[in-house]
Amino acid sequence: MRIDKDFTIQKVGVSFVAVPVGETSKNFHGMIRLNETGAFLWNKMKEADQTEDSLVAVLLEEYDVDEATARADVQKLVKALKDGKVL
Amino acid sequence: MFIIELCGIPIRMENRYSYVENQCRDYRSSRKDYAFSVFATDKELKEESKDGKFPFDYCESICLYRHICEILPGYSIFLMHSSVVLVDGVAYAFAAKSGVGKSTHTALWCKTIPGASVLNGDKPLFRMNENGSVTAFGTPWNGKEGWGVNKSAPLGGICFLERGEKNAIRKATDEEILTKIAHQLYLRGTRTSVDLQLQLLNRLISAVPYYVLSCTVSPEAAELAYRTMKRNKEEFEYEN
Repeated sequence: MRIDKDFTIQKVGVSFVAVPVGETSKNFHGMIRLNETGAFLWNKMKEADQTEDSLVAVLLEEYDVDEATARADVQKLVKALKDGKVL
Repeated sequence: MFIIELCGIPIRMENRYSYVENQCRDYRSSRKDYAFSVFATDKELKEESKDGKFPFDYCESICLYRHICEILPGYSIFLMHSSVVLVDGVAYAFAAKSGVGKSTHTALWCKTIPGASVLNGDKPLFRMNENGSVTAFGTPWNGKEGWGVNKSAPLGGICFLERGEKNAIRKATDEEILTKIAHQLYLRGTRTSVDLQLQLLNRLISAVPYYVLSCTVSPEAAELAYRTMKRNKEEFEYEN
């Protein structure tokens, strides 16, 4: 999984938001809200192609969470991004 | 071609139709210098008119304002789709999804609250000031009712309107503020422009008090909103 669409991610208040820019904004409307881990995973998918396992691995490396929680977080985000047609 | 001043910024309008010139008459400037100029390409006009469905002169005005609103975030100025009412030199903004009754509520304020008038009924500009305060500005783009004047005033609060069975007003939660306000911002354009707008949004969410007003169409709704926003504006300033 890789995010190849043109978005900008910024911290606004306590949340992170992803907003389409340039050409992407013509076909994709609105803003996606992310929490801190969501923004972290988003950036990993922006940098390189990822699998569910590789995302779980980077999450475990960066944050103090158990694998079940990390996997649930990854699955939730991936589903939301697929539903939103970002992936 | 003519120059207008919006929020004190001189802008050169490279128009081809007289519609926008007429629309901007109260904002014309005698200045010769300008910060930037805007024009609409043939392609943009064609797209905006939906292949002739809407008149080109009207579409040119829309396109020019869109360009202006993409550039102004560089001057800490942004568009927020809303209706702004002036009372005693203070600006109060109302935002709602279309059809909820922004215009109706605005008209109620003007009828119910002594001295209330409309600064802009649809597309006002806001400037995020260095000291953290926000200033609201009238613009020539003021909606189908054409409510607006070339004035500015400090912003005292932002209220999100919802249709309700009875009148009730409460402070908006952080969650609501971000979601609801993002709907009213332009948030399009180049990466630089969108990034600047998001940085302004980050400051805006803590710059003024926010409310959710659930209301019926009644003078009581306007009175409740005004009383609450006026009182809290004073408290907010005291706390900050």
